[in-house]
Amino acid sequence: MNPVSGALLGAVIVGALSAVAGLLLPRPARSAVVGVGIAASGVAAVVAGVAAMAGQGASLALPDLLPLSGVVIGVDALGGLFLAVTGGVAVATGIYGMGYCTGGRHGHRTDGRLVQATLPLFVLAMMLVPVAASVGTFLLCWELMALTSLLLVIAEHRRRPAVASAGRWYAVMTQLGLVAILIGLLVFVSNAADGTFAALRVAGHHLSPTVAGLVFVTTLIGFGSKAGMVPLHAWLPRAHPEAPSNVSALMSAAMVNLGVYGIVRVGFDLLGGGPNWWWLLVLSLGALSAVYGILQAAIGTDLKRLLGYSTSENMGLVLIGVGAAGLFASSGDGTLAGLAMAAAMLHIVNHAAFKTLLFQSAGSVVYATGRRDLDDLGGLRVGMPRTTAAFGLGALAASALPPGAAFVSEWLLLQALIHGLPAAGISAAIVMPLAVAAVALTAGLAVATFVKAYGVGFLARPRSPEARSAVESPPSMIAGMAVAGAACIALALLPILVLPAIGAVAGGVVDSGDPVAVTAMTIRLVDVAGSLSPLMLAIALVVGLAATLAGARVFATRRAARAARLWDCGAGPLSARMEYTATSFAEPLQRVFDDVVQAEQDVDVTHHQESSYLVKAVEYRRRVPDRIERRLYDPVLAAMAGWGRAGRRLAPGSVHRYLGYGFYSVCALLILLVVTR
Amino acid sequence: MLTLWRKIRRSGRVAEPAPPRPVGESPAAAAQFGGSVQIRHVDAGSCNGCEVEIASAFGPVYDAERYGARLVASPRHADALLVTGAVTLNMLEPLRRTYEAVPDPKVVVAVGDCARNCGVFAGAYGVAGAVGDVVPVDLEIPGCPPRPEAIVAALRKLTGR
Repeated sequence: MNPVSGALLGAVIVGALSAVAGLLLPRPARSAVVGVGIAASGVAAVVAGVAAMAGQGASLALPDLLPLSGVVIGVDALGGLFLAVTGGVAVATGIYGMGYCTGGRHGHRTDGRLVQATLPLFVLAMMLVPVAASVGTFLLCWELMALTSLLLVIAEHRRRPAVASAGRWYAVMTQLGLVAILIGLLVFVSNAADGTFAALRVAGHHLSPTVAGLVFVTTLIGFGSKAGMVPLHAWLPRAHPEAPSNVSALMSAAMVNLGVYGIVRVGFDLLGGGPNWWWLLVLSLGALSAVYGILQAAIGTDLKRLLGYSTSENMGLVLIGVGAAGLFASSGDGTLAGLAMAAAMLHIVNHAAFKTLLFQSAGSVVYATGRRDLDDLGGLRVGMPRTTAAFGLGALAASALPPGAAFVSEWLLLQALIHGLPAAGISAAIVMPLAVAAVALTAGLAVATFVKAYGVGFLARPRSPEARSAVESPPSMIAGMAVAGAACIALALLPILVLPAIGAVAGGVVDSGDPVAVTAMTIRLVDVAGSLSPLMLAIALVVGLAATLAGARVFATRRAARAARLWDCGAGPLSARMEYTATSFAEPLQRVFDDVVQAEQDVDVTHHQESSYLVKAVEYRRRVPDRIERRLYDPVLAAMAGWGRAGRRLAPGSVHRYLGYGFYSVCALLILLVVTR
Repeated sequence: MLTLWRKIRRSGRVAEPAPPRPVGESPAAAAQFGGSVQIRHVDAGSCNGCEVEIASAFGPVYDAERYGARLVASPRHADALLVTGAVTLNMLEPLRRTYEAVPDPKVVVAVGDCARNCGVFAGAYGVAGAVGDVVPVDLEIPGCPPRPEAIVAALRKLTGR
């Protein structure tokens, strides 16, 4: 038994045992044991994934485990990467969940039997999706992942009605996505010898372009909806915020990646690449997701919903990389394809790290205050210094500014796009500059988003009694955040540790050599000019900052200090009501992008009875509806409802009519048989 | 946009020719300003007559800015306070705090009769006193309201231009 299969088996056994423990153990020990189990299973998955990326494949066929199709497991480098990422997220969230599930003062307990038994199963299903090596196994794991995540999303449905609504959206969209994947893969399998990925790989080269295109587009719909790709993202900003925060972290940092995994697996591995238009489609949908997602995040005020939209944005960036890689690969530019794919994969790893951290710290805020609305938070720095530091670290990593983790991957992505300009045909000459602009706009808006989330949510003064009396979360939650935070720091300063392995995986996917070379300090791009040293950059930043501070101290003219009152317009003590809220901070952005966002706002002014010059109360309301959702989903939902109402007219409750239906359908059937025979 | 440009072209320069530099002594602190004075205006309880005249003094016809006087939005940026109106009870503390917020060296100019001696509001129930009763006044501009020429002349004493 090689290390990969051994570690994978260990992960499965530990995961299954923790599910049993969650079902059987009494409440005090339950969440702790399950958390440790998830973390241990995650460690095993990381070991298996890293070993698989190092080139040790493993495969296993269990034909008797399932009727008809059997179970086929195969770990390759691509699957290993996603296995390792899922495992890493599981370690952090497992530790975090030990404390979080107990509920806190204002949070909600989620240590019931059902939730605690489902949690390890969800993690397990996510680990098995990237190692499934046949269509039957893959779909089984995919559906297991969808169902367990659905159960976890609706964990708090008794307490908040919004959870039930989010659960319905998620259930419908995830099952429709499954149907799309199912159709695509079944069409594919019908052209292959059997359902194993090896057979599909052989068949993929002989498919007619139409069938291949059909397979790709249907699977893209299914996988894209799981990845939160606009316009199939409607479930994501609903389900991610309403789920318990450890589940949000798992879904946002690990589950959405598997949508990208599916696109890469089917598009590159099984179908062997494809024509330009596939990848142009992926790239443009990615660009749309990135810009639209971050725009919604920038004007949002719900902390977790904002993070959900940010997930949509980051998956959009990843899809831009995947699309660009496909475009370059189909025009025969292997190195650039490898570079774009490496950028996409590095961004997946980075996103997993910082989104875990961000959702965990958001969960810590919910645990302490019971509130998610940024307008009600503020001042958490005093009561929750560690959570504040964790969120700050995550926000820096997500902002694509040096020295943050996302900076490295977005730099790689931009390098690939910019150097790709002369590489591939006319379509690329039009698309690449637009994609560069989309990435740049996204990066800028991301900074505004996270400055808002951090500054308004954690700094300044508390705007609600809960925020004022917030206390720091228990050590296990802090430890979970520390794991994710350490990963963020490592990825930001030393991406050279992971980049060779990711580059090898990316090169393997698009059949090219390593797209990046690393020396002790520097990342160097192969074949195109470009190098970056994140560690030196960070050191230079720190040195520059220290030099500026020291210089300011040395050269500052020494004047007598004057103690003066903080300027408050002379009117009296500054209060929390004078601060910037998330709504007011985002107002200029909302104004700039009003054509896209179309926020609904109204102002009601109530006057005094005696005089209309005296204002009694001013009420301001703002709603930011998801415009894509309104244009795309509402008509479909209305049509469905109309169809249902029309159908109701057929069933008025009269027995005679039902008997008539039966009689006439039998007659029609008989006539049909007579005519066709 | 085009109409605006046309209007600008047709109107030309409307500022009155600069009158000779005013005579009379200026506050001691004014010497340190070096010809540029940033001014914060405080309405301590004015009827807004003086405000109209101040706006006119800084308008295109009298154009006080050409002599180096400039209105700013915060006392932290200011060298001088331009106080109008009798000090009402509600503005008593804010005026004191505004005065404290102006960095040294600083000058207080009382604009109009109300600021100088409460004018017609003297002894009214909501009036705390004249500006001079609350903060030290360095320069006074008489008038109810003072004409813009008088305001500009007073400000030129501060800027020395």
